[in-house]
Amino acid sequence: MVNSNADALGIIFPNSYDSLVPELVSERLMASIPFASRYRMVDFILSSMVNCGIGNVSIIVRKNYHSLMDHLGSGREWDLTRKNGGLNIVPPFAEKSVAVYNGRVEALASILGFLRSQKEKYVVMSDADIAVNFDFNAMIDAHIKSGADVTVAYLEEEIPASALAAHPEDKNLYYTFDVEDGWVKGLKINPKDAGIQNFSMNIYIVGREFLIEQISNAYAHGYIYFERDILAPQLDTLKIRAFRFDGYVAQINDMKSYFDENMKLLKDENLDALFSSNPIYTKIRDDNPTRYIAGARAANIMAADGCVIEGDVENSVLFRGVKIAKGAKVKNCILMQDTVVEADACLEYVITDKNVTITSGKELKGTDSFPVFVAKHQKV
Amino acid sequence: MAKEMIAMLLAGGQGSRLYALTQKLAKPAVPFGGKYRIIDFPLSNCVNSGIDTVGILTQYQPLVLNEYIGNGQPWDLDRLHGGVHVLPPYQQATGSDWYKGTANAIYQNISFIERYNPQYVIILSGDQICKQDYSDFLRFHKEKNAEFSVAVMEVPWDDASRFGLMVTDENDKITEFQEKPKNPKSNLASMGIYIFNWDILKRYLIEDEADPNSENDFGNNIIPNLLRDGRNMYAYHFNGYWKDVGTISSLWEANMEVLDPEHSGINLFDDKWKIYSRNSGMTGHRITADAVVENSMITDGCRVAGTVKHSILFAGVQVEPGAVVEDAVVMGGTIIKSGAVVQHCIVAENVVIGENAVVGAMPADGEKGVATIGSGVYIGDNAKVGPNAMVNNNVKGGEEQW
Repeated sequence: MVNSNADALGIIFPNSYDSLVPELVSERLMASIPFASRYRMVDFILSSMVNCGIGNVSIIVRKNYHSLMDHLGSGREWDLTRKNGGLNIVPPFAEKSVAVYNGRVEALASILGFLRSQKEKYVVMSDADIAVNFDFNAMIDAHIKSGADVTVAYLEEEIPASALAAHPEDKNLYYTFDVEDGWVKGLKINPKDAGIQNFSMNIYIVGREFLIEQISNAYAHGYIYFERDILAPQLDTLKIRAFRFDGYVAQINDMKSYFDENMKLLKDENLDALFSSNPIYTKIRDDNPTRYIAGARAANIMAADGCVIEGDVENSVLFRGVKIAKGAKVKNCILMQDTVVEADACLEYVITDKNVTITSGKELKGTDSFPVFVAKHQKV
Repeated sequence: MAKEMIAMLLAGGQGSRLYALTQKLAKPAVPFGGKYRIIDFPLSNCVNSGIDTVGILTQYQPLVLNEYIGNGQPWDLDRLHGGVHVLPPYQQATGSDWYKGTANAIYQNISFIERYNPQYVIILSGDQICKQDYSDFLRFHKEKNAEFSVAVMEVPWDDASRFGLMVTDENDKITEFQEKPKNPKSNLASMGIYIFNWDILKRYLIEDEADPNSENDFGNNIIPNLLRDGRNMYAYHFNGYWKDVGTISSLWEANMEVLDPEHSGINLFDDKWKIYSRNSGMTGHRITADAVVENSMITDGCRVAGTVKHSILFAGVQVEPGAVVEDAVVMGGTIIKSGAVVQHCIVAENVVIGENAVVGAMPADGEKGVATIGSGVYIGDNAKVGPNAMVNNNVKGGEEQW
């Protein structure tokens, strides 16, 4: 390659961890959850890949993916409308013998033919439950340098309380690693260990040929999960490198973390940490700039374009096209696209989904630990 | 495949009266209304009217404009057949010429127009802020069985002598054209937007080109020639918002009118007639806890920690704590440092206004001055820029410029 493109293709699993935020995914999936006033969760990993020169990205969707298709379109906003590579959305294949996939192994097995026909040497895989400005080039370089079969990215942090709490027994939710000298020597599934752990980001780099071989083999044995069924049993024989990520990460584990991670971006240092290194792309809506009408009051907010603010708004995140009428009070809220707060309504600790209307004079209050959620298209 | 009507957009104007704002870019590329450039208006009007083929005639400082237009995708003008094309003057077998006038610019691109074999050609101007449905204009043109139509606005009789005026009969048929006359016979001002039957336009362009004494201008040459020959010429009345933003004060005024759509008639908040633009790709804007924002428009990437009143901030503008911005148009990427006071002015892109600097002033009685800072200028700490100043070079800390 003459240019700086990475010799890797990307794979995103957009439905991972859907079950943790049932309210938000009733009509969408994890990857299309709105975040940070004008983005969807998938924008972060997808933009990170593009910014690293990964121009061949497959998104293996499982269910509820209409909103994601609508968001991504042809991939133009991410510069992924390409003749070679580009954006490739892989829906479940409707065939009697193929059910909707459960784990990564089944998902990857469904695109083995595609993987065989590609030319990139490496495969980068990620979920879409984290908002991160990730430098895949650094990780690919580390992978190549170490001569590893697989490189996994991890954070040094405590296991999020929400991950510990939510726990359907039959699901692999999260993983931690024992790392020695940069190599993974142990892999724990849903551990309850206290203190700082090497918490997996579920971002992987593998050789394409190696991945094909491992997935074919695992699929033939009826295995489901990449971590449990491929990595864990082969810890001694595979070279698994650990790559520590020290940048800013917002992870969505439940409604509380969704609320908190949005609110954290009201601090400039967090906003800069997430956005300053490389641009994050998203779907363009062609809204007009946000208008603050005489009499409006805004304090400590983040707002996207297209809003019209006549009332009083404080400590809140407003997505595109939110309208707050005269006399309305909005405090500690996350109002998604096209939410309308009519005159003299009063909201505190509320998350509204898209196209919600709060009619005039209504009062809605949640608490810090339990924000009230109003589902898509509801009229309160 | 023939097109019913294609658009030719005159975007070669130098905009010399915008001086500091047009040093490095053509007038149609001047930013407007928080996230737009002037040319977004005619381009969006085209798309919203169903015109999918637009030639943009450029000549002066085309770099910014060329990059901005790109493949036309933001306006949905990246088409298989048609779409948007930037048309600079080019070298031909017989030699090359700059565009000598508006008519000559079209003349030099006759072969471009012929590729689409249109029945009608609409000539647009790239320096006006206007939301207009050109399809309604075309309907009028066809109904009147016209060969040429011009969009006109009624202007106050006192101002009429500043414009090119169309004198019409009771059927809107044009009987006379007066260019900036002392004694106006009409108050119907030409907006510089014309629809021609292509065969007629082509014939008159060729005839005009052959006339060595011609200025090759639509207003001065083509229209008088059409009148001379008694062509079917009609005036189409437009009564929406229209503003020629050729001067600093009219540009400032038009921006301020955007803040008051209820009264000014320029409504950018209209879902049925969106104005498209190339996106900044920045995050949502931030208003801090101590900031004061009143009656303003703010867009992506802005960080407001100071006071912003009755102003328009473009993408990525930063207003630091204690800074005051009032009645101001502040273009993209500009930083206003703490304690600075920026009033009644236009500040172009990527300007830095130092701490406690003063730019412009709220006008006293009878004054109308709009201070203007050109792009990339650095205004030092404690510097002062007077209310009528036009600043194109850095002003050192503590210095004054009037």
